[in-house]
Amino acid sequence: MEILLTIISITGISTVLAVLIIIAEKFLNNYGECEIDINEGDRSLKVEGGSSLLSSLAANKIFIPSACGGKATCGLCKVKVMEGAGPLLPTEEPYLTPEERKDGVRLSCQVKVKGNLRVYIPEELFNISEYIATVTEINDMTHDIKEYRLEFKEGEEIKFKAGQYMQIETKPYEKVREKAIRAYSISSAPSDNKAVELIIRRVPGGVCTTYMHDYVKVGDEVRITGPYGDFYMRDDSDEYVLMAGGSGLAPIKSLVMDIMEKGLDKKMIFIFGAVSKKDLYYEDFFRKLDEENEKFTYVPCLSRPEPDDKWEGETGLVTEVLGKYVKSGEGMHAYLCGSPGMINACVDVLVTTDFSEEKIYYDKFS
Amino acid sequence: MKQSPGLKRIQENMQPGAFTAHGFLGDDDRALKDILRQDNVVVEKLNLSHAQIAGRMQYFTDHGKETLDIPVTVDDDYEVLVDDHRGEIPCPFADNQKAIKTNTKFTNRKLGITMYWSDLNIHMIRYHGFYEGKGSFFRNDPDVLAKALGLID
Repeated sequence: MEILLTIISITGISTVLAVLIIIAEKFLNNYGECEIDINEGDRSLKVEGGSSLLSSLAANKIFIPSACGGKATCGLCKVKVMEGAGPLLPTEEPYLTPEERKDGVRLSCQVKVKGNLRVYIPEELFNISEYIATVTEINDMTHDIKEYRLEFKEGEEIKFKAGQYMQIETKPYEKVREKAIRAYSISSAPSDNKAVELIIRRVPGGVCTTYMHDYVKVGDEVRITGPYGDFYMRDDSDEYVLMAGGSGLAPIKSLVMDIMEKGLDKKMIFIFGAVSKKDLYYEDFFRKLDEENEKFTYVPCLSRPEPDDKWEGETGLVTEVLGKYVKSGEGMHAYLCGSPGMINACVDVLVTTDFSEEKIYYDKFS
Repeated sequence: MKQSPGLKRIQENMQPGAFTAHGFLGDDDRALKDILRQDNVVVEKLNLSHAQIAGRMQYFTDHGKETLDIPVTVDDDYEVLVDDHRGEIPCPFADNQKAIKTNTKFTNRKLGITMYWSDLNIHMIRYHGFYEGKGSFFRNDPDVLAKALGLID
């Protein structure tokens, strides 16, 4: 009997304490209206406290790049917070260099708005907009790559630099209960400003690529934001080496189209690495450009051509082909898009050919 | 014994749709603590450590990374092919680690065994003793893995 009474008493006390905590939280966590000062008074936002800095900014149409939706797993949503961010969280530590920590850089998804904040946001991020786009075309490019054309609503336009990327937000599907956000490079030219085209390679088990490949149909609406990224053409060279592997072809295609459309006098060599012939795409497009333009050279390179491919082009490691075609990189720019392994290997080769490392621009798949 | 709330949260991260479309558990309905314990027993019986197994996997993956998409022969008996995809994947053990989506196809020609693992698998084996749940695509039974890697006869 005594034991039973003790259990009942402890349960009762625990319940009362739990209720008190819930009530206290309601009052204590009510941060009220907070002010976010951006770039020393350039802009000022009044937001309801309690949400993350990332979502508070997004609610005010300021979109900071983020690929994980606020789970602190992508490390992209860095923002410099000069005041009001509170202590650095353990979840942020792996993504910040000592210099960034010293400068007050934080992951905006981990900073909760609890009071007034002073932040610095790079100007270019103010150009990022949100679009509800309609999928008007889906093209099978290879066995695992599809191209999507996403058209904006009447009157909407986008201004981007060739090489930049968009972020797609998925909806829950099957067992995937939460939305996911992933980045994909734009493959269309900046002049085509009422839509964007994205090239998406299926990642086995990938949340977003599975959604795009298996669930998105022509006519569906997709929420996208952009443009993002600093992988775009710098105009202080007349000679470019362009390299891509897999879906890394997307930003390179956009760059080439932009240069051609603007009639810029640039000498370009584009080396595209693929495994076998079934992994090549936009072949006709690039071969035609090669034939019609004296200054554009297209070099597809297969690492493992199938016997049926009857391949007579370049084979082997993309780095070997690069060394064969680029003897001196003096005064040249290089734009690389592909897997980290490919890019690291190519950078190693380029620096041995007098390429200035700061003239090598790349978009690693990470 | 009941599973701790910490492991329960980690097991939720391993469900389909949390970090990957298919998750890390396959059709294994055991609690995570049991998956970890049972695999640990197997590894201890082999007189090995998870770090040794992960280290050997890393050895082959590193060889594969040198040749990008081209298969490479390592130490005469093994063939390795490494392939990478866009993006990074966080560790479901919430240890703030993430791995590039790199997959290794590994073949022990002598034994005729082919296995697949990701960079994240190497990390999860090394630091968490986790080989994924049964039925998961990247699940490799530790005894078969150790044998294929040439760590045991």
